[in-house]
Amino acid sequence: MEDFKVTLKQQIIDSLNLQGMRPEEIDDNAPLFGEGLGLDSIDSLELMVLLERNYGIKIEDAREGRKVLQSVQSMADYIEQNRKL
Amino acid sequence: MSEKIVVSAAGLISALGHGVAANMQAIRNLRSGLRYPQHLRTIHSGEFVMGEVPYSNEEMATILNLSPKHHYSRTALLALLAMQELLFATDIDLLRSESLALINAGTVGGMCTVEDLYPDFVAPGTGDYVKYIDTLDCAESTEDIAGFFGLKPLMATISTACSSSANALLLGARMIKQGVVKRALCGGCDALSRFTLNGFNSLKNVAREACRPFDRDRIGLNLGEGAAYLLLETESSARERGATILATFSGYCNSNDAYHPTAPSPHGDGAYNTMQQAMNMAGLKPSDIGYINAHGTATINNDIAEGSAIKRLFGDAMPYFSSTKPFTGHTLAAAGAIEAIFSIASMQQGIVPPNLNFQTPMEELLLIPTTQLVENINIRHVLSNSFGFGGNNVSLAFSAS
Amino acid sequence: MNRPVYIKAASSISPQHSYEAGMLLQPVVSSDNGRLYVVEQDYRKYISPVAIRRMSRLLKMSITAGMQCLSDAGVSPDAIITGTGRGSVSDMEHFLRDMIAMKEEALNPTYFIQSTYNSVNGWLALQTKCTCYNQTFVHRSLSFELALLDAQLTLGEGEDMQNVLVGGFDEMTDYYHLVKDKIGYWKKEALNSLDLLKHNDSGGTIGGEGASFFVLSNDSRDATSILLALEILHKPTVTQLQNAIAKLLESNGLEPCDIDLLLSGINGDVALQDSFDAASNMFDSSTAIAAFKHLCGDYDTASAFGLWLANYILSNQSIPEITLLKQGAGRPVKKLLMVNHTISGDASLMLLGNC
Repeated sequence: MEDFKVTLKQQIIDSLNLQGMRPEEIDDNAPLFGEGLGLDSIDSLELMVLLERNYGIKIEDAREGRKVLQSVQSMADYIEQNRKL
Repeated sequence: MSEKIVVSAAGLISALGHGVAANMQAIRNLRSGLRYPQHLRTIHSGEFVMGEVPYSNEEMATILNLSPKHHYSRTALLALLAMQELLFATDIDLLRSESLALINAGTVGGMCTVEDLYPDFVAPGTGDYVKYIDTLDCAESTEDIAGFFGLKPLMATISTACSSSANALLLGARMIKQGVVKRALCGGCDALSRFTLNGFNSLKNVAREACRPFDRDRIGLNLGEGAAYLLLETESSARERGATILATFSGYCNSNDAYHPTAPSPHGDGAYNTMQQAMNMAGLKPSDIGYINAHGTATINNDIAEGSAIKRLFGDAMPYFSSTKPFTGHTLAAAGAIEAIFSIASMQQGIVPPNLNFQTPMEELLLIPTTQLVENINIRHVLSNSFGFGGNNVSLAFSAS
Repeated sequence: MNRPVYIKAASSISPQHSYEAGMLLQPVVSSDNGRLYVVEQDYRKYISPVAIRRMSRLLKMSITAGMQCLSDAGVSPDAIITGTGRGSVSDMEHFLRDMIAMKEEALNPTYFIQSTYNSVNGWLALQTKCTCYNQTFVHRSLSFELALLDAQLTLGEGEDMQNVLVGGFDEMTDYYHLVKDKIGYWKKEALNSLDLLKHNDSGGTIGGEGASFFVLSNDSRDATSILLALEILHKPTVTQLQNAIAKLLESNGLEPCDIDLLLSGINGDVALQDSFDAASNMFDSSTAIAAFKHLCGDYDTASAFGLWLANYILSNQSIPEITLLKQGAGRPVKKLLMVNHTISGDASLMLLGNC
């Protein structure tokens, strides 16, 4: 799980083009949006694309999306339970 | 003070059919044009309803008497049919002999054709498809219109997302006021494309079922396609030639949210200012407005912003207002011109198109649009709103002639 | 349209070193592969780290050129008006290719949003908090000219309108180059870009790109030059072009010999040679002739680089050697006529004066 979270962090960095940021700089439980990494609504859509392309997970409901995308930890947990790829 | 600008002819095509009369009749009959697409080839065709024009490209080419070898994209075919209706009612020799602007609008030009051929475009070699390479430009339809109808106007093509053809209209009025041209044909065209559908779907704001503008449970927009054009000229020019004046183009405003690349300011400050300034130019106060044809896409963001602006601006003097997008879908670059024509025709016929599919007001606003067809009323002034990506807001005011 | 407007500032990110100090810095840049790309700049100067990470090259260079221009003029804009042939082509291509490859599933919204033609305008409004008039023209090689025409209209609409930001921008991509090659846009033979205009016996030209912005104003104070008149010509014949030039001069009270410099948008394509000759032949030996597309390449809004160069020449009273085709009498440049010829056959005339 720890290794997987590093992989996921790198995927987030690549997908959102967070230039100069390293996986270890992202806290597992820090909020991704708002104050945390300062991501916005378009980033959340990009992260949903990441989930779909890399893990075959399609999130249709916006409220569920918000819950899943709270933090790296919540994303990792969700992926573990729902991944199709 | 410069002379009044009037609308002296109009033509359109949408999911409701070809022609202003057919469209208004569909609205009176509460017949929506939304359905699963028959002509757009997409894996999503059974998933989303859309406002697709009920003709194949071949059928449109037949109506226009085109040779089978024509190079027109679906976008251009829609544009030609809409313009054909306008020109039936106009002395085309006059348009050919006196100074004229043709101001067209598009968001993706002939993408509907290009997306099918793109793998060929970027593969080695050549073929018959090269004649379509330039159809991707939005200006292609503009030049197609001029060429097909033998016009030699000053041409311009505008692209400001969903407010594009509303901008075409106000540019035409401004050109006439400053004496650049005597008349202007203004409007826009867009055909459904996989590019646009998947683009909006990537933003997760496309509804599967018919859209529900201003409803608490709205779930996104329906895409549509179409084209519409209006002829603008000065009042004296129209009167001199004995033209029927459909309406006075009494006010307009283009302003920008300067808030976010795609989302409107949540309190609708941009929409508020734009409507306010359009009314100011027309010398109107809120209680003068009889009907607002709202942008009303039924996306979460648009409707709360636009609704807030309408509520703040009109307060107790709330006019009839509705979004006609549940009839046509969101026709993007054509929407401003199509809805300008709906607004004018409604004023002429003394009706208000209903806002279909509305059930429950948004909790934040408790704002209720006009949900039933209203008939036999006297409307003197209307507003038509078009708001696009990039914070591009346009409001148009038309007054009874 | 004859409506004089002042140029208060100009900024251009181009294949030449035009941006850094607002002049044509040495060394002159050339290329041997049939296309010229802009000299990339530090785009973080005007764009926040959060915003910049998703932006395509076109957005970055256009926003930067626009913001720099406003900064040079020291004004906030009363309107933002631009022209672009294709907007952010790379974003459009990216979305389209992914859509085809991924069979319409799991697509990135960023490419779609930024492929919208008015995305640069939206960003500029956002960056400047300019809630005023905002417009984008997309009419092939007349896109920038139509933006200028709209700026003339806007500045004629009353006291509130003092400063308008006007720009033209387009980018070159590999796919764009490939696709346009199929309809004969580019020269088949290998050549150095600086020799482009000598290769005027074959078809085609070289590709280019750039973003050039101007602050146009009703206010003459600190103006660098004046745009006296603009004429847009849809596919003129050679005679129509000559008549339009004659009419433009006449309506501004000028004779051909009053034009000190003819700046031409000639691009090496044999098909444009007659039109270039016809325009040049209207002027006697005292009028100098210069050209610019061997420096910026040809693209839909190349005339915006041309206007940048015209403004540079008028404000510095110096014609860069690398642009000169004919020396002329060596007079001070008080009146400059730019004639842009384009691949599409459209043309434009811009009459400028010094301040």
